[in-house]
Amino acid sequence: MAETHSLQDMRPQAAVAAKVFIQRDYTNGTVCQFQTKFPSELETRIDKQQFEETVRMLNNLYAEAEKLGSQSYIEGCLACLTAYTVFLCMETHYEKILKKIAKYIQEQNDKIYAPRGLLLTDPIERGLRVIEVTIFEDRSLTR
Amino acid sequence: MPNSAGKRFKPTKYIPVSTAATLLVGSTTLFFVFTCPWLTKVISPAVPLYNGLVFLFVLANFSMATFMDPGVYPRADEDEDKDDDFRAPLYKNVEIKGIQVRMKWCATCHFYRPPRCSHCSVCDNCVEDFDHHCPWVNNCIGRRNYRYFFLFLLSLSVHMVGVFSFGLIFVLHHRERLGALHTTITLVVMCIAGLFFIPVMGLTGFHMVLVARGRTTNEQVTGKFRGGVNPFTKGCCGNVEYVLCSPLAPRYMLDPRKKPHVKIQPPFIRPDLSDRQITIKVSDNGIHGTIISSKSKSSLDDLDDKETQPPLPPKADRYNQLKSQMTSSEESSLSGKTHPSTPAMYKYRPSFGTMPKVHYHTAGEKIVMPDDRKTSAILEEGVRGHDYRSEPNLDLPDYANAPLHRTFQSSPLQLDSDPINSRSLSLKQGHRRPEKGQLSALQPQTVTSTPYKSVFSPNTLSNRNGSLSYDSLLNPSISPATANECMAHRGMPSMGFHSPYLPTKMCHIREPEIQRQQVAPTYSPVMPPRGVGRQSPHPRDRDPSPVRYDNLSQTIMASIQERKEMEEREKRQMLHGRSQTHIYAQDSGVFDGAYGGSRDNLMGVGLVSYGQRTPVLRHAGSTLGRATRTSSTSLHTDHSPEGPYRSPAHQPHSPAMPRSPSYSHQKLSYINAHERTDSPRLGGPREAMKVNGQMDCHPSAQGATLSPSRHSNVKKVTGVGGTTYEISV
Repeated sequence: MAETHSLQDMRPQAAVAAKVFIQRDYTNGTVCQFQTKFPSELETRIDKQQFEETVRMLNNLYAEAEKLGSQSYIEGCLACLTAYTVFLCMETHYEKILKKIAKYIQEQNDKIYAPRGLLLTDPIERGLRVIEVTIFEDRSLTR
Repeated sequence: MPNSAGKRFKPTKYIPVSTAATLLVGSTTLFFVFTCPWLTKVISPAVPLYNGLVFLFVLANFSMATFMDPGVYPRADEDEDKDDDFRAPLYKNVEIKGIQVRMKWCATCHFYRPPRCSHCSVCDNCVEDFDHHCPWVNNCIGRRNYRYFFLFLLSLSVHMVGVFSFGLIFVLHHRERLGALHTTITLVVMCIAGLFFIPVMGLTGFHMVLVARGRTTNEQVTGKFRGGVNPFTKGCCGNVEYVLCSPLAPRYMLDPRKKPHVKIQPPFIRPDLSDRQITIKVSDNGIHGTIISSKSKSSLDDLDDKETQPPLPPKADRYNQLKSQMTSSEESSLSGKTHPSTPAMYKYRPSFGTMPKVHYHTAGEKIVMPDDRKTSAILEEGVRGHDYRSEPNLDLPDYANAPLHRTFQSSPLQLDSDPINSRSLSLKQGHRRPEKGQLSALQPQTVTSTPYKSVFSPNTLSNRNGSLSYDSLLNPSISPATANECMAHRGMPSMGFHSPYLPTKMCHIREPEIQRQQVAPTYSPVMPPRGVGRQSPHPRDRDPSPVRYDNLSQTIMASIQERKEMEEREKRQMLHGRSQTHIYAQDSGVFDGAYGGSRDNLMGVGLVSYGQRTPVLRHAGSTLGRATRTSSTSLHTDHSPEGPYRSPAHQPHSPAMPRSPSYSHQKLSYINAHERTDSPRLGGPREAMKVNGQMDCHPSAQGATLSPSRHSNVKKVTGVGGTTYEISV
């Protein structure tokens, strides 16, 4: 049975106007943190607080992923004891957090950024070096 | 026989790993077969069990070290690296826990290597926390697999010790029958173990020290922290804990996973713009960037939402501007040569037709200070990252560390009105490039470290679109305020001197120049109470501009205004051709041809010859800059040390040297002229000296300095010895 698509779906995506890259913040070493400074290109597209909140949340998630806690100890010991075969069946702590981050970014994109013509790219795709924010052209503006 | 991705199959690289694997597995197998049965019988079954476990551990770690992704960074996308192309500086500095760490540009991977990252030539990849490339495992040792490598070394040492000891026990008990098979083989195994004992133990000990110190092999061998402080150390225990117990880092080289499709279609929600702030952004990694943004509500109100160009003083925004400019391939091609000075110039070119181009911009430090239009924007960049962008000469390492553009120091040269500058530029240089060129030319100069911080008139300079400066024209009330601000700010001794020369109009054009200039700043005083009459021609011409210009970036506005002024100037020139030549003639005798044009402007007209700078910049780097600076230095002695200081920023500063004497001569006269005309002007209309198509002088306000020939569109400035320079307006 042929699938019907609404006209909305058929409309092409907005064109990419610009890309902003949020760089890593290395002031605390190699811990994964991103700069929370609000880039000026986004000034006209999104609230500063909103954006900074997103980046801060991401930073917190990454900090949690890299935390040296009981979870990581147990994982390490278990891996040692099983000659690392445990990695074949179990997901590491970091990977779990990464999934959480991916979900968070997806949710942020859907709720906040896409309606504003922006798109956040998961930094893991860039090797955790940058957060790529794609700014889409706003053709609806007349000015 | 190519294996994959064009990588040739090199069997030689597998020799060490095969040898290691063979030796390890083979020897241990022999040990188990020939030595262990007797040991089990004589000593205990725990012996083979123990050895078995250790061997298993060795194998597991060996496999992990060999097959695990060490933390390879994927190549950066084209989009990301567009900003950092071949013109990007080689190093970018970042501060980590108070220590400066250098990030090097990786030409292969197209990004600045994060701290502790290094590019492995064998694997042809940038690896995170790169330790070394180990031939015995045929793999890089990086963040993800360092732990396994370290444990492999430890366990291998333990294993070798165990094998050797138990073999020795066996041999000692079979001394009388050394020729027997078992004994011989045990001896052979012992020899192998003994042979590799020293290197392996040595390496293990070395890595134990590294782990305790929190360093990588790469850092140790290259002596990065020799005698210095390691910003990555967490203390001995912390380091050991980090190596052994930290969570396994994620893989970056992932298969492209299917991303859920996100629908992005206009119309888009826009944030509330009631409280807009114009911010000056400095992209850096969080080093020193003190940017003060000024907010101009009037200009903001007109700002187009779509305008994505941040309103910055060129210096601060150079990084962004450069990026945005560089995205234009045509512009890049226009810029042509890869001369270090040119890229920055071209980068500043406003992208008229390419506004929607992808502008790559890295978020950087941005300090926004709400401003009621009165604050001057002072941009002081400590961002080293910018150095080389604007720096014409990438070869000079000094500049990597030099404070970034201090920005906005108005040079005396800037006194002249922009229009005239632009006009003269176009006239003089044949306008090699569109106005953009001028702007871009201004850029590189500004980079040179300028100890001064110039006050950056918020009205005129800070805003990205020219309408702001225009607004200042239209709103004289602002000027005094800004003038006060400026005064308060920098305390440049010659504030008064500069003010008259600061054309409000051309602030946006002037900005890059200002950055370069280390001269006293005060622009704002210029803005002054403009005599309405003086302004009239401009407002007439410019009434539509606020509406138009607000939609455009600062650079575009500047170019448009330049063009306008150029046209006006040309018109006037035809009428007052004599007066123009008079000015030029005065100076030409002093300066050589190449310089003459710019000098004319500089000295005779007191104009900042932006355009002049362009060619000079290209060829002689700092010469022009120095020239302008020297002129300012005469005014402000504190500037003088900076003169030579700036020259290194540009390649040929020596040629500029010989010029200075002649320059200073002219400069002196010029300065006197300025001073004379200045003082009366201080309180009065600042544009008196502005040879700005937009504004006429206020001879009346200046008193005797200007002839009352205002209406004839010729401004006269008295110089030394009563020489009068006629400036056609």
